[in-house]
Amino acid sequence: MDSDALDAYIRARLALAGVDIDQLPDVADPETGSPTRAVIMVALREFVATTPGALAEWTPPTGGVGGALGAAYAQQEAAPLAYPSITTAWTGEADR
Amino acid sequence: MGRDLNRRTFLAASAAAGSGGALAASAAPAAAAPARTPTAPAAPAPPAVAVPDLPVREAARHDPTEATLAEAVVLIRTGRLTSADLVQAYLDRIEKYDKTYQAYAEVTGKQALLAAYAADRANRGEDGKGGPLAGVPLCVKDNYFTKGVPTRANSFIFEDFVPVTDATAVARLKASGGILLGKGQMGPLATTRATTPNGMITTVNAWTPDNPLIDPGGSSTGPACAVAGRMASSSIGTQTGGSIVNPANRQNLTGLKPTMGRVSLNGVIPLSYTRDHCGPIARDAMDAAIMLTVMAGPDAEDPRTQGLPRLPHLVRAATPVVSSKGPKGKVRLRRPTRIGVPPGFTDGIARRSALLDTLADLPGVTLVEIRYPTDWSLLTGSAFNAARLSERAEPFRHWLREDLTKFGVSVLGWLQGLMLSGDEWITAQRAKHHLLRAVLDGPFDHCDVLLQTSPVPFDILGLPEIGFPIGFTAGMPTGAILGGAPYEEDRLLEVVAAYQAVTDWHRRRPADPALEPVKRVVRPLLNAVEAAASSA
Repeated sequence: MDSDALDAYIRARLALAGVDIDQLPDVADPETGSPTRAVIMVALREFVATTPGALAEWTPPTGGVGGALGAAYAQQEAAPLAYPSITTAWTGEADR
Repeated sequence: MGRDLNRRTFLAASAAAGSGGALAASAAPAAAAPARTPTAPAAPAPPAVAVPDLPVREAARHDPTEATLAEAVVLIRTGRLTSADLVQAYLDRIEKYDKTYQAYAEVTGKQALLAAYAADRANRGEDGKGGPLAGVPLCVKDNYFTKGVPTRANSFIFEDFVPVTDATAVARLKASGGILLGKGQMGPLATTRATTPNGMITTVNAWTPDNPLIDPGGSSTGPACAVAGRMASSSIGTQTGGSIVNPANRQNLTGLKPTMGRVSLNGVIPLSYTRDHCGPIARDAMDAAIMLTVMAGPDAEDPRTQGLPRLPHLVRAATPVVSSKGPKGKVRLRRPTRIGVPPGFTDGIARRSALLDTLADLPGVTLVEIRYPTDWSLLTGSAFNAARLSERAEPFRHWLREDLTKFGVSVLGWLQGLMLSGDEWITAQRAKHHLLRAVLDGPFDHCDVLLQTSPVPFDILGLPEIGFPIGFTAGMPTGAILGGAPYEEDRLLEVVAAYQAVTDWHRRRPADPALEPVKRVVRPLLNAVEAAASSA
């Protein structure tokens, strides 16, 4: 994606969340520490260009040669867990 | 623990992610609103902790601010020290030195002295029964709710917030005889090393009080500096990305981040729901064990604490064992322990080689070289670490809409959190599960505890870690981090207690700052990009 497309995504996402980036100053404000809108847009562009894609690229490895079992099996692997360590208590793995 | 059992776990994300604990931020802070319940809940019953009758070092007998928490309890219990004298001694040091250290955001001296008088009456049996902590003063990070005491988290958002309840961990410490001496400085909303909300560095490293550029470790900077600078017996911090073990490593302390759920997050201003942990930053393994024993346990206000394995006997785990057979008089591990050494652990850090030599010499220790699982670097790297930022944005949406400038220098991380989609966050939760299995079935099949090269992987997984001193490099404290399997904090303490029994790094204290004239030091400003890059 080019910068214009990234900017459009960022502005749309902020607007959908109800966040008005124009609250940030044109010139950095040492009293509040608030960065400028321009600094924020550059940083968000870099973040959007690198992070969501890296997350979306990953799927759990599946069996078979070279992961040949594929997507139908990957979706069954490693059910999402917000608190993975706690689940070792649920399953008895962490019991003594 | 039966690691061979139940290799597969089941979907938990939706229930767990939506459940309690993150109660602070949805209320309007300036209104001093209660956490979630309309009336202050009764303090939960603290778990029993018996502070052992340790020998007290001569230095601690002469200067109570030198005493470990355990030593202070022994001195008070045996009538050689009063809580009031101990609190006053710390207040004197705060008065003298905190202009330089800037470890405290708020000092509650008057209330602390009143609490100390009450503790002394109770310790004498005149007014109830003294608690196991016997009136020792503590520094509490400023993101824990403290009843009637400002809780600002170093943020404009909470600048007028005075909670009407204590966080569960604070309530338990108080109920056990701990005294709140003040609130510790922290990075804004627990992000970076301690700064003002606009990014000006406040708390220094207690070992370099004249040089604010030296990293004191973040974000529990103030509590760590308060203990290192002998301005509190012990302290509590929070860790989302290393913020207990890093300041412990940087300031020659012992910091224990327990397994997720061990300590209630009720009444802690959230940074990232799934990664915030409460724990002690203490002077040694024994003090960390005592503090965690008091803080830990199920809490009706935080479902993450429910149904977990019992808390091990941490004080026993932190008590070094001396061989009665074999090499008599030699410290040994309480039980045979395989210590995993990951690739690159000693790279460029000479003290880590010395650490391995010392550990290898302890009877009961077996050092094991381990390999990281496939995808370790990817799943613990910057993109997957960034998934936590969605959790940062959600509870602060009200203020994100209302006034972005209230986030001061820290605003970037909150806006980044808005850029991730739900499916990407879920992928990160799936990756956590995959990585946990890979760690438990991989390295932990070959070792009982695992040395770390970064605290972040075990923060992602919610596994316990302990940071402890291993020496000095160019005059500055150097530490190591040891990680454990779920709910095996006792294993960590056993290793560190044995190590601390044969070394004295943890007993070394920084020199006091120069008194007069207080050296004028320019305190640098962090900018927003730097703050985001170094954020927990």
